[in-house]
Amino acid sequence: MKATLGQALAAYTAAFAHGRGDLAPAEPATAGGLSFGALVRQELASTKSALARGEGMAVAGLLGKASIQDVVEAVSFAELSLQKITAVRDRVIAAYQEILRMPI
Amino acid sequence: MDLDVAMRIASAGMKLQAARLRVVSENLANAESTAPTPGAEPYRRKILEVTARRDRETGATLATVRRYGIDRSELPLRHLPGHPAADAAGFVRFPNVNPLIELMDMREAQRSYEANLNAMQMARTMLQRTLDILR
Repeated sequence: MKATLGQALAAYTAAFAHGRGDLAPAEPATAGGLSFGALVRQELASTKSALARGEGMAVAGLLGKASIQDVVEAVSFAELSLQKITAVRDRVIAAYQEILRMPI
Repeated sequence: MDLDVAMRIASAGMKLQAARLRVVSENLANAESTAPTPGAEPYRRKILEVTARRDRETGATLATVRRYGIDRSELPLRHLPGHPAADAAGFVRFPNVNPLIELMDMREAQRSYEANLNAMQMARTMLQRTLDILR
């Protein structure tokens, strides 16, 4: 992937804003398929739906409408999705901080 | 995402084994459930019919319950003249439940449940270990 870190960070914030429902600004697409921004946006959307599914299953399980196996599966997948997205976020922030520490 | 799908398949398998245990305990509990009157049918052993169902969302083949069938095999007779369900000769038709078969079925359900549980745990561990690379 040939995206620069600035682009990546901008894409990440844009995707985050998109995830909150705001309109995402246009961003540069990288050569060769999916851009980092599109990837992050896609992952955020899937994490959001996984979390919603986990929450819905947990409630349905407490109400006795879903089986315990379904609840465990949905909640653990939601947990892993959240971990994935936070791990990527931590990585991006760490890279940004690394650049900030660079002597000019 | 294959690991996610694997978890869903394992969860369906666990649900199936839970249904199987349900049928086993139903059979065991009703092993002595006779009919209230001479002409009526006593409890008949239930059988779980399993089928493979394709999940549209993921494209995976899940194991699910097709229906709860009934064992049509012969009912054992016992000579109990005083029983309210006894016929003119004093025989009572008892359920065709064999506790030994039910116990074996129960064991099988338990082992299969554990196997599915292990598959789910393994998929989870694999996902988690992959994510740990990022940390």
